[in-house]
Amino acid sequence: MGITVSGISKRFGGFTALGDIDLEAKPGEFLALLGPSGSGKTTLLRIIAGLEFPDAGTVAFDGVDVTNQPITDRGVGFVFQQYALFRHMTVADNVAFGLTVRKKRDRPAKAEIARRVEELLDLVHLKGLGRRYPAQLSGGQRQRVALARALAVEPRILLLDEPFGALDAKVRKDLRRWLRELHDRMGLTSIFVTHDQEEALELADRVVVMDHGKIEQIATPETIYNDPASAFVFDFVGESNRLPISVRGGTAHFGQHPLDLPPHEAADGEATLFFRPHDVEIVDDGAPALPAVVTLARPRGGATRIEASITGREAPLELDYKGDAPPRPGDRIGVRPLRARLFGVQ
Amino acid sequence: MPGFGLTLGFTLFYLSLIVLIPLSTIFIRSVTLGPQHFIDVGFSERAIASYRLSFGAAAAAAAVNSLFGLLIAWVLVRYDFPLKRLVSAMVDLPFALPTAVAGIALTAIYANNGWLGQYLEPAGIKVAYTPLGVVVALVFVGLPFVVRSVEPVLADLGHDVEEAAASLGAGRILTFTRVILPAIGPALLTGFALAFARGVGEYGSVIFIAGNMPYVSEVSPLLIVTQLEQYDYAGATAIASVMLIASFLLLLLINLIQIWSRNRMTA
Repeated sequence: MGITVSGISKRFGGFTALGDIDLEAKPGEFLALLGPSGSGKTTLLRIIAGLEFPDAGTVAFDGVDVTNQPITDRGVGFVFQQYALFRHMTVADNVAFGLTVRKKRDRPAKAEIARRVEELLDLVHLKGLGRRYPAQLSGGQRQRVALARALAVEPRILLLDEPFGALDAKVRKDLRRWLRELHDRMGLTSIFVTHDQEEALELADRVVVMDHGKIEQIATPETIYNDPASAFVFDFVGESNRLPISVRGGTAHFGQHPLDLPPHEAADGEATLFFRPHDVEIVDDGAPALPAVVTLARPRGGATRIEASITGREAPLELDYKGDAPPRPGDRIGVRPLRARLFGVQ
Repeated sequence: MPGFGLTLGFTLFYLSLIVLIPLSTIFIRSVTLGPQHFIDVGFSERAIASYRLSFGAAAAAAAVNSLFGLLIAWVLVRYDFPLKRLVSAMVDLPFALPTAVAGIALTAIYANNGWLGQYLEPAGIKVAYTPLGVVVALVFVGLPFVVRSVEPVLADLGHDVEEAAASLGAGRILTFTRVILPAIGPALLTGFALAFARGVGEYGSVIFIAGNMPYVSEVSPLLIVTQLEQYDYAGATAIASVMLIASFLLLLLINLIQIWSRNRMTA
């Protein structure tokens, strides 16, 4: 089922949570809403779910306007960050809840409900735990119960609010992979909210990067990482170094140092230079590059992570060196960005 | 567990000092009556009528408080409004007010020339000097117990549980009966038990509004005081013993129900 969000605005008192948001999820797509806290991502998800209503704009499912429909009628599955399980019910009763609250004529028979619950518990790898209470389960298990409960009503749209936020790293990783499989198998259209970029990049078909109630970029994980549309996206997604520079006569300068940059089309004036730690070449001191002093060097992955301080900038640069003879602390080096982006100062 | 012996020892010592020893004198005193006299006094027609009123009115008042106390707790937890602190403080007033003051105030309002009484009485509803008046007084003194028991649990329940129920297609009524009520049930029961216990023992506010007609609107605590005023200490302790045992058994029962329902949630 496709989701179309157009012109959504939402204010809370004097705070603009969302400003004129347009977004489209194709049927079967898995979208991530990524952003820092306060970026409006959760509000957007809740508006799509029908838990919150916009001040302006519309939400449509498969072209049908659902803007004013409450969540009860929208037929979406919603998974909450803190699971929101019913503590006084067994796992099986939790999963069955959406079926047992149906009106009598739409409600499946008891045996049918029990069968469906078994099926769902099997699907979320919790077979045999139906008689337990939520308090007797681990965090990861609880989140899977919450998912089974949401899926019981056979939604076409699955919305997840920071679904792995409260779990430890190892469990997160397993659940992530498993959720992606589930999404594909059940033919759902899913949107999940996260502030964890790794999660967004690994899981989603497309990532929606948000900041201050605006969408900064909507693109595939590759594009988001390799071709960020704004300074915010470059900074927020992946590791990056940022340098304040000025462009004079088409050439970027850091202080008095001209920089030998790949081609760019920045206008003259103040700008910020972004580059990733692995997109640099470390050259000997004296070459036309940024002069820096190594303060730290330690192995990391297949490379050596180097921190180098640079005059006129407080935070050290973070660089990856892939050769065999990494510089040592105290060495003077030149840093030449191979791939970099310039964003004008707003 | 470290400290178990010491803390349990102290708990038992303290409970003995504060509760058990004073109460045991009641039984020791009533034993001097001899079984036949004990039954004659403790289960006289007048005493039984007073038990019925005391326990019945306390149960009715606790039930009323459970309903409206829940409502008030709900409003205090779920909504923000101006002067909320003030409203919250008002809930506690019955705790602090000398009960006699409450009794006089209620009587003034519900008497046949009082603010409310002058309208209620022509409508055939007599409050002052009837068993109904007893219930009204007990509702007043018992209100804070339910509100303060339910409030923290309701706050802890979280809005997302309600939203989850809604997302699964449950309307408001189903959400309340199937999700919220079972979750706050034990706390509500605690509030009920506290309000009930308070009501059974209430004296000060009741005696003004009840009219204290033997067999009709005379509560057990008043009957006990009446016995004392006639220097019939043994008779007073007989009635007190019956009340004490009945109260203890009822509170024990409520406690057991609570343990049972709480275990289901956290086992």
